[in-house]
Amino acid sequence: MFRDTTFSDLNRSDAADEARTEFVVDEDAFRGFYERTSRGLWAYLVRITGDRELADDLLQETYYRFLRAAATHESEAHRRNSVYLIAGNLARDARRRSLARIPAIPAGEEIEQVSSASPAGSPEGRADLNRAMSALQPRERAMLWLAYAEGASHEEIAGALGIRRGSLKTLLYRTRRKMAALLGGRRP
Amino acid sequence: MKRVECEFEAEVLDAVFQGRWPEQAGEPLRAHAAQCEICRDVAAVAGAISESREALVAEAALPDASRVWRRSQLRARQEAVQAAGRPITAAQVIAFACAMGLLGAVFGATSTWFQGALGRMASFEAGAMLASASKLLMEHGAFVLSLVAAVFLVPAVFYVALGRE
Repeated sequence: MFRDTTFSDLNRSDAADEARTEFVVDEDAFRGFYERTSRGLWAYLVRITGDRELADDLLQETYYRFLRAAATHESEAHRRNSVYLIAGNLARDARRRSLARIPAIPAGEEIEQVSSASPAGSPEGRADLNRAMSALQPRERAMLWLAYAEGASHEEIAGALGIRRGSLKTLLYRTRRKMAALLGGRRP
Repeated sequence: MKRVECEFEAEVLDAVFQGRWPEQAGEPLRAHAAQCEICRDVAAVAGAISESREALVAEAALPDASRVWRRSQLRARQEAVQAAGRPITAAQVIAFACAMGLLGAVFGATSTWFQGALGRMASFEAGAMLASASKLLMEHGAFVLSLVAAVFLVPAVFYVALGRE
């Protein structure tokens, strides 16, 4: 499916030619993969960072790192897991680097403000979700999002978040309980 | 041990993802979820989150794939150029350091007053040292000033050169 591609359209006469500037994925394959994954990945980044601008930046960075990693992937699912793993790591690094920019509690109100124009779901329901998500730790938000927005398997979630697979079931159960309680207005 | 999974969890999740929950999920599954804490939580959480995902995905305004590809290519190329230039810069820094070391060694080996100063330092006397320093400044003021400037400027030049990388 994938073949080696070089920057044939760029000038190859200077020192850069000596260095490796190839992506393993060709442009057509990348385009298809991007179309299939970018929206879901952006939504994931918005949810785990709580910052749309940052999500935009991290999305671009995620695909760049994916291309530069030059890893060969066995399947579409494997490629997809890779970008989610990269995105999660970037979001975590960004949070560590700039706690002022990425609040510990995500900007739920900001998300809600923009989301209100969306036809899907009621504004009240989304406001409840934003508030509930805000009360969770970043890793808990990521875990729930991967499980219930992306439909990722336990193995995929464990891989993307660096959690032992054996611990995931219990962690997911506890986080889901907490979230259900928050959504239901109960004390978690 | 507390139960953390339910055998009907996947069915409930499928019904939520396919938009069949709760009306079209079937009475037995709904009845089970009404009694099962795990399935009830799965339905509530998955329903809210998948709805939120749909809303976010619908409003996402993302750059197109070609633009992302081109920008990635350009950035990869810039990084390759920087990486190619890095060994040259490192070699230049090493060569400069070697030249300075050699210059210092030649100066130390040929300068009689420098060797004299070293000898006097061995038998240190504050008054004599002060007088010697004044004499040195009077006789070789320009050279001493250049040396002091180099001591402060060289690290600054290195910092700027390496900082650009």
